[in-house]
Order: sequence, then C-alpha cells, then structure tokens
Amino acid sequence: MIPDPLGALKRRTEIATWVAREVLPLEGRVRAWLNRAQVSKADADELIQEAYCRIAMLDSIDHIETPYAYFHSIVRNLLLRRLRRERVVPIEAFAEIEALHDDRPSPEQLAANKVACRTLMTIIAALPDRCRQIVQLRKIEGWSQKQIALHLGTTEKAVEKQVWLGIRLVRQAWANAEQEFDTHLATLAQRTGEGR
Amino acid sequence: MNVRETSKPDMQAAAFVARMDAGNWTLADEAELQQWLRLDIRHHGILLQTQASWIALDDPQHDMAVPEAITGRFPRMPRIGRRSLVLGGGALAASIAGAFLLTGKGTTYSTDLGEIRRVPLADGSSTAINSASQLTVILSEKRRDVHLAKGEAWFRVAKDASRPFVVEAGPVLVRAVGTAFSVRKRANGAEVIVSEGVVEGWTVGADGHRVRLTAGQRAFIGNNSAINVSDESIAAADRALAWREGFIDLAGESIEDAVSDFNRYNQRKLVLGDPALAREQVDGIFRTDDPLGFAHAVGRIFAARVEDSDPAIIRIIGPEK
Repeated sequence: MIPDPLGALKRRTEIATWVAREVLPLEGRVRAWLNRAQVSKADADELIQEAYCRIAMLDSIDHIETPYAYFHSIVRNLLLRRLRRERVVPIEAFAEIEALHDDRPSPEQLAANKVACRTLMTIIAALPDRCRQIVQLRKIEGWSQKQIALHLGTTEKAVEKQVWLGIRLVRQAWANAEQEFDTHLATLAQRTGEGR
Repeated sequence: MNVRETSKPDMQAAAFVARMDAGNWTLADEAELQQWLRLDIRHHGILLQTQASWIALDDPQHDMAVPEAITGRFPRMPRIGRRSLVLGGGALAASIAGAFLLTGKGTTYSTDLGEIRRVPLADGSSTAINSASQLTVILSEKRRDVHLAKGEAWFRVAKDASRPFVVEAGPVLVRAVGTAFSVRKRANGAEVIVSEGVVEGWTVGADGHRVRLTAGQRAFIGNNSAINVSDESIAAADRALAWREGFIDLAGESIEDAVSDFNRYNQRKLVLGDPALAREQVDGIFRTDDPLGFAHAVGRIFAARVEDSDPAIIRIIGPEK
C-alpha cells in the first residue's frame, strides 16, 4: 500500500507551506482580478480550486520562480478555456482578459495584502470562544493538540474537533479576502500612500 | 460566526487537515486520505487550499513579509497567450530558399517542411504557401487557375470579374472573384477557410451541389462531394491562418491537434507520452518552428515533464499520478 505515510505527509505539507507563504497571501488579488473580469464568486471559487488542484499534482515546486505569476497564469488559462467553451461570450471579453494581463502588484496593493493578513488575525479573534482559545494556543503559542488537551483537561479528539471547525472558518476567511482586499485598496487610495 | 454551508468535501478536507495537525499521522490515516483523493480529482485542490490556509496562520510575521520578497523579481513569466511575440524568424527566413519552376503550363511553387512562403502573382493577387506544399499557378485571358498538388495555401485574390480565380485541390474546386481564403488539401477532400469576401466550392462531377462561404466560415469539401460547413468568427479564421506569419495560434484546441500541427512544420517531432493529456485544451501563440517552447508551456500548465534529450523527438510526459 503506502510504504511511507510520513513521507507522503511531509511532501504534502511542504507544498502546502509553500502555497501558504507564496500564493495564499495573494489569492485575494487573483480573486479581485476575476471579479474585474466579471466572474461570479462561485465560478471564481471553482477556478481557484482547480488551480490549486494543478499545483497539488506537481512533483516539485522548486522550479517555480514567480509563484504569484505562475498561479495567476494557471487561473487565467482556466478562465479563458472556460469562456471559449461557453461560446456565448462576446469576443471583447477575451480582449479585456488579455488587457488585464499585466497584473504586477503595485506597492499600494502589496500593502493591502498585508492588511488582509492583519484581517486574518481579526478573524481568529472572531472565532467562537472555545475554538478561538484552541486555535490561539495551537498557532500563536505553538502548543501541540495533545498539550492543549492536557491543559484544558479534555480529550485529544475534542481538541481535533475544534481545530476542524477553526480550519473551516479560516479557510472561508481566505476565500472572502477579496472583498477585504478591495475595501482596503479603497481605504488606502484615500489615505494616499500612508498604508505603505 | 457560523460555518456557512460548507460543502461536504470542504468539511472532509478540513477533517483530514485537523488530523494531520494532531501530529500522529498513521498508515491508516494516509490510506484513508489516498482513498478520498481518488474519489474526485478536485479533492487534491481542496485539500491543498485547506491545508495552506491552516499553515498560513503559523507565522503571520513571515507571511506579511512575503509580498516584499516577491517585488522586484517579477520578470513576467513567459506566459502562454501573450500577444507580444516577435514575428518569427526561422520560418520566414527559410522562404528565400523556396523553389519554383517555370513551365509552359504555368508556374510551380513548392515549400519544404517548416517553410512558409509569400508569393505575389502576376495578376496582382498574392498567395502564402504553408509548410510542405506545392501548387501551380496558370494565368490565362479567361481565367486564373491554381492547382494545389499538396499542402495548404492562402490566397488574396485581386478583383477581376472577367477572370474567375479557381483553386483545384484534387476533385474539389473553390472559386473566388475578389476575396481572401485558404485551401488545404487532405487525403479525402479539401478544407476551405474564408477570411474575406465570398467563395464558392464544389466537387468535380457534383456541380449542382455547391457551397457558398462567407468570411469567417470554414468548410470541408469531401472528394465524395459531401460538404460540411462550420460557422466561426472572423477572428477564428484569422487564428487558423496564423501560419502565414509563422505562428500557430491555439484557442482551446486539444493538445493532440496542436501536436500534429507542430509536426507539420518541424523535422523534430513532438510525441505525447501521456494519452490523458491528448484531450486537454491549450491556449497560446507559438512560433511554428518552436515545438520545444510549446512543450515547455504544456509542461508548465499541466505539470507535465518534457524530455528533450533526443534531437529527433521532444517527448511530453504526463504528470505523475
């Protein structure tokens, strides 16, 4: 069967860590881009997920030098493919997508991404009490689930269940980062440069 | 704060990530996960996304520094679909070497593999002759005849109502007065693409069964006189004729078709090592003489490996399952 469960886990965690560091903080940007290309939220979710699927299937991520550009180009190609299949889309739509090509983040936008990270901390703070307590201990204090269970006098399964809830909520928060991203962008525009 | 209608796979992925996070991942866990991943290819993406969102919480300081790390090194990736490629060198330059024969019965032009030629004709028309093709042009008082012996050519026909312009590809005939169109000879008929104006096509012996094609239309006229017309946009017709500029313009074509397209222009053949890739679709503009560039692009997008150590073959090997 699977000769090395820890090896498989390690490889998976490596790729996920890379995505967490290099791609996820800018996922909101890709979502904002999809939004400008008039892709619905549900379709955007699907495209982003498909793009992650492509990355998950990679043997190695070492060859990817510009992770954001890589991710963005996968999403873009998936989108073009989908539009072409639909055929009802006016030809201008393609031109617009081509025009949205140069998607290099400006300093303001990068700053907005940082703000989105801060928003994520706010989201942890907004988790249901017990879940928040456990997520904080796990992520901020760096305790293991086992240590948390001992500390709280509960079972490891119960801790794992709260972690499970926390993961779902946090993932949703990332998926909604686009709105925050746009809001922050607008705020930053008003404050002209202050956000850097 | 509630969990809003998370889908079942989302919840399952989160459960796996929570269990991995518990730190005592077992063989049985891995087996269960593998089984779940096999149920639906999308599960791979959901799992990665979920696991990454969780890991992202580990060290917010680090994550906040990431955007800086990215700035500055943003040479735009040779992204597929960029329309800024420099007009292709090789294919066009090669056309100087093209051969033509002057015979009593008109002028014959031929191209080698990978060669694309543009030839002005004496009546003011012009033609672009695609890779590995041969045609003979006979201009007379009453008519202008082109005999396409093999391959493909595009014609921009100078208006002259008194002298119809007729391309003959085996038993298939295509007639134009003042227009632009291409004819590609196939074993069982000819493919016609109209980029401007109107042309008429039919098969010898079936004169009554003619098809009138307007700009943006494409038809396959069989040697057996069967006609199959497909309506496409003018943009699609232009894409199909990108070879005139030395490009292959793909818009959702299958990798399989794209590979046979490249092999039409190059000695060094592309070979698809993974049948699963054959039906995947690709977008992008490539030089006809750059099959390796195409192979690498496919590699990037579909996580396929490219094996190019053999000078005669470029092999595209599918992603590891």
